[in-house]
Amino acid sequence: MPQPLVGKIQYDRVKGTPVARPRRTALEQAYVVEVVKGLGVTMRHFFKNTKSMFRGERPDAVKDPLSEGITTLAYPEQKKVYPPRFRGVHRLTLRNDGSPRCVACLCCSTACPAQCIYIEAGEYPDGDNRRGYERYPVKFVIDELRCIFCGYCVEACPCDAIRMDTGRHAVPYDSREQFIYGKAMLMSLESADGKQLAENPRHEPPDPTHPGIDRLKGAH
Amino acid sequence: MPSIKLDGQDIPFEKGDTIIRAAARQGIEIPHYCWHPGLSVAANCRMCLVEIDPMQNRRQIVLDVLQWDAAKGDYVPGKKPKLEPACQAECIEGMVVKSDTSPHVALARKNVQEFLLLNHPVDCPICDQAGECKLQDYWLSDQKTAKRMRDEVVHKPKAVEFGDTIVYDAERCIVCTRCVRFMEEVAKDPVLDKRERGNLGEIVLAQGRKLEGHYTMMTDHVCPVGALTTKDFRFKARVWFLRKAQTVCPGCATGCNAWLDYDPRTGEVPRLRPRDNEAVNKYWMCDDGILTHRRVNEDRVLHGYLGRGTKRERVNPGQALTAAAKLIKGGNVAIVLSAQHSTEDNFALAQLGRALGVSELYLSRLKDWDGDDILRDNDHNPNVRGAQQAAGDLKLRPLSELSGAKVVLALGGIADVDDETVLALAEAKIVTIASNHGPLTLNADVLLPAASWAETHGTFVNRQALEQEFHAGARPSGESLPGWDIVSRLARTLGQAIGFTRYADVRAAMGPRNTTPNAAPPPADAAPPAPAE
Amino acid sequence: MSPVLVSILGSAIKIAIAVGFSLNLGGLLTWLERRQMAMMQDRIGPHRADIKLGGKKFTFAGLLHPAADAVKFFFKEDFVPPNADKLLHSLAPMLALFPPLVLMGVVPMFDTVCPESLRNNLWHEIPRFGTCAMASTAKQLGPISGQVVDINVGILYVFALAGMGIVGATIAGWSSDNKFSLLGGLRAASQLVSYEVAMGISIVGAMMVYGSLRLDEMARWQGENTWGIWVQPLGFILFLTAAIAETKRTPFDLPEGESEIVAGYLVEYSGFKFAMFYTGEYIEIVISSALVTALYLGGYNIPFLHRDGITLSLGDDILWHKGLPHLVVILLQLGTFLGKVTVLCWAQIFIRWTLPRFRYDQLMKLGWRMLLPACLVNVFLTGIALLAFDRSSPATHDTFQVIGDALNWVVLAGMVFFPLWLVWGMFTPSSFISRRNELRGRRSAAAAAAVATEEASAH
Repeated sequence: MPQPLVGKIQYDRVKGTPVARPRRTALEQAYVVEVVKGLGVTMRHFFKNTKSMFRGERPDAVKDPLSEGITTLAYPEQKKVYPPRFRGVHRLTLRNDGSPRCVACLCCSTACPAQCIYIEAGEYPDGDNRRGYERYPVKFVIDELRCIFCGYCVEACPCDAIRMDTGRHAVPYDSREQFIYGKAMLMSLESADGKQLAENPRHEPPDPTHPGIDRLKGAH
Repeated sequence: MPSIKLDGQDIPFEKGDTIIRAAARQGIEIPHYCWHPGLSVAANCRMCLVEIDPMQNRRQIVLDVLQWDAAKGDYVPGKKPKLEPACQAECIEGMVVKSDTSPHVALARKNVQEFLLLNHPVDCPICDQAGECKLQDYWLSDQKTAKRMRDEVVHKPKAVEFGDTIVYDAERCIVCTRCVRFMEEVAKDPVLDKRERGNLGEIVLAQGRKLEGHYTMMTDHVCPVGALTTKDFRFKARVWFLRKAQTVCPGCATGCNAWLDYDPRTGEVPRLRPRDNEAVNKYWMCDDGILTHRRVNEDRVLHGYLGRGTKRERVNPGQALTAAAKLIKGGNVAIVLSAQHSTEDNFALAQLGRALGVSELYLSRLKDWDGDDILRDNDHNPNVRGAQQAAGDLKLRPLSELSGAKVVLALGGIADVDDETVLALAEAKIVTIASNHGPLTLNADVLLPAASWAETHGTFVNRQALEQEFHAGARPSGESLPGWDIVSRLARTLGQAIGFTRYADVRAAMGPRNTTPNAAPPPADAAPPAPAE
Repeated sequence: MSPVLVSILGSAIKIAIAVGFSLNLGGLLTWLERRQMAMMQDRIGPHRADIKLGGKKFTFAGLLHPAADAVKFFFKEDFVPPNADKLLHSLAPMLALFPPLVLMGVVPMFDTVCPESLRNNLWHEIPRFGTCAMASTAKQLGPISGQVVDINVGILYVFALAGMGIVGATIAGWSSDNKFSLLGGLRAASQLVSYEVAMGISIVGAMMVYGSLRLDEMARWQGENTWGIWVQPLGFILFLTAAIAETKRTPFDLPEGESEIVAGYLVEYSGFKFAMFYTGEYIEIVISSALVTALYLGGYNIPFLHRDGITLSLGDDILWHKGLPHLVVILLQLGTFLGKVTVLCWAQIFIRWTLPRFRYDQLMKLGWRMLLPACLVNVFLTGIALLAFDRSSPATHDTFQVIGDALNWVVLAGMVFFPLWLVWGMFTPSSFISRRNELRGRRSAAAAAAVATEEASAH
């Protein structure tokens, strides 16, 4: 039986070191001098920047975005260079035969803090060449509007089947439905350098190098 | 009571108990795969090995072993006690057993675990057992090492169909033979067997046979790993998304205890699992019982409707209630209880009948089905006794005897009625409170959506007159409400308040439950005769 | 030309200059403010609105944005809240816009013009001292003053009309039927009333020195002696502070206070009514700049430029004299005045984008417990100084004359040097600290240090 906490807690006096009050000189209190100093700072920026605009000597906003001076990007014409590990819109990687690598294990949707991934698992029919993949996503839907681009799905994926290396940022659309990316859409996307396969190919059951799924084909 | 000492704790036991069973009674789990409380002992998985201290008149077996000495950088000779399987060693008064406290046991478990996982495909992401798999649990509690074998694992058949309900994956199988023993000992149909030895071992079907009968799906539930999976649940959900609620199978009068696994996000109920109850179903359920989860999402009445056939239109529940009240006020009402609904629903309806001045009630029910001696009762209805309790002093007659009523107020859509009764009923105006579509909803003039048994609290009274409570899992789907709630709302609309606004009100009016099983057959006059075939 | 026609024509031209200048500069300030603050904050500012001329796009450095804004304001819905007072809601923007506009009427933009002297010769020069001959006959042309209206209580008229600004903001806040608006209106009322007092008294010192209430005489005094900022430095700061507070702009923008009360009394205004408030605010900047110019920064005067031309002097010594035609002098003075006002507007924008907003209690404290006593002290000190000056010897007077001229020299030097400095600065290439190079340098320095320690340890 948990005891009620009321009346049991001993509240200690809050301990801490007192914060030193700022000491201001009379000149600072007068405010006028400080105002002039502040104006000096803004004026320095103003004249420097105005001159650089006139002379066309602005620092390169794309290459050196942290430089002094005006580093504003003229967005549609200039674009920021995304770092190589930038997390963009998702893509589903493909196997060599063009089917998705995804095995619909739902690890990504389990890891997803925004719960934006919906998957329905299925089996390839008997006799299908891909029967050995066992499980594949019949539906794979990501609500890109709900996604927070944390990349947990990529981390969670045991098959390298979902990646965020498209280099595309979330695109604005004019209706909510357009943000809901289906399986076909996700499979059609490419990585920033134009790849659709994953980086680490592996033996697939129909592959001649695969040891086989049948006991009789095994090497033992 | 005699007792043994397990890890310093006193464990009482009954004569004939094994160590693992005595521990399990006390809620202590000794890691195991092949042992199952309801099956015979096979002792083939070697996971439950324990160290038993030497006793009087019992010679301790000590083995010579080579142990790695890190300081010397070489193996040195050493000794270790011979461990015994806890599932097979019988308890003896004063026995001192070490399980979690023995380093030898810990090493043994670790090695057994590594051995079992040697050829395992480790395809947990696509395995339905993941999340409730003993291989995973014991890896985490007893192994925690990476795989050391660098060879290609042994490949065995995958996705083999064992019949219409079960799929077998030999690579995941640890050949514990629980399924083999279940089919032989419980289902009395020895259709499964094991072939080959060691890493080639696998479960096979008897020549020319399929896994069939009423108890195939239990093989999935006894399987400690993901080797056997039901087609019904295969790839439907990941178990960590599911929540469980205590429920009772609505399939027959046995009233098997079960876990209702539901998805709290969507309200779907993808499966039912047996819940242990020595008094009723022990550890088992039949296939049809397990499949009753389909009733939660199939053929549901989710909204209020008015009119028959093509004239049927959807209305909101308030309108449906008003229309029902208008019909009932017309007089000459026949009230039909349901053997498929909970006692609470029936009780509320019977109370309404009393308020309306009805002298006799009718009961709708399913026809008997093929019962057996294992679990299945001949009575296909979960709650005939509950309906009788609810009727109390009022006379309860079968539905086929209903005639001449102007208005019929029926609970439950599922019932077996013959054509004559359907025709007779169709002449009257019918108000049906139902969760699922059936013959009684077909001609209903007013259809009120009731919550399914999985979505409400309630009670079923089984063949032993045991009143078993079940709990709500998912929230009521659509616009449905619990049956007793609809009845009491209807009563309020009619101006006949029966005083129920909460589930607790109904329970309070009904009195305490009978929780003592009564094995005696029901009194002959209480059960209305089943409709003739 | 008949004298009546000339005086009417003169007034029309003055009105055109005054109204045209304040309205246009007000519009231009909307652009200037945005570009200037962008430059202060290392951004570019509006520069994308373009117009196609002959298949080419021109943006005119963003100057089309005010035009685009105006078009937008015209076509926006004129929204009035359902429970608002319709009449007052419509009246408020007018009350906010027109008082500042008519204020410009009493500010002298140039020295008195003598049209009679120009009748025969447009390049006629007139003497430095003495005003024009009054119209003795009906046929002679009378003098035209540098103000639109030449009233002898000029500065009181200014205060009277500046007080109207309170009414506009307050009834805007009250009539909008909005809590934020009401709060904004109340803040505006109390703030403006408080600073009105300080503003009125801050100028008393200047009036005592100049010995007049007429703005044209004040300007003339500054031309003959030295700029008001030198004789009334404290008064200048106090008046500038109060004037900025009267324009309701940062750091005194509590009536709007976006982060506290959304936009204060402006919340329920849109479309052209909002544009009127907006324009009124910018015109107030222009007017306050004009008043500061006229009262303290020499009005239309350039040092050593007098009615007869340029006379460089120090005390009684005349160093150099060059006569200039009357018309040229007048035009130079007009240009000077407009230039000074523009520069002061620019400076006010600097103040706005540099200082953070006061808290309300700080605002009130500053108004009543700092500015007001300081103003009274200023009046007191000025009185003592004037008494002492009046009783001092003629030699002291001469000394002060020399000091005044010396200060004029300083101002002139500044007026020449500063633009030259700007132009010279334009020819030197700009340099920025590149973050990239800095990091690279730091990395190589660290590498060099590592090598050095390695070598040291190896020895």
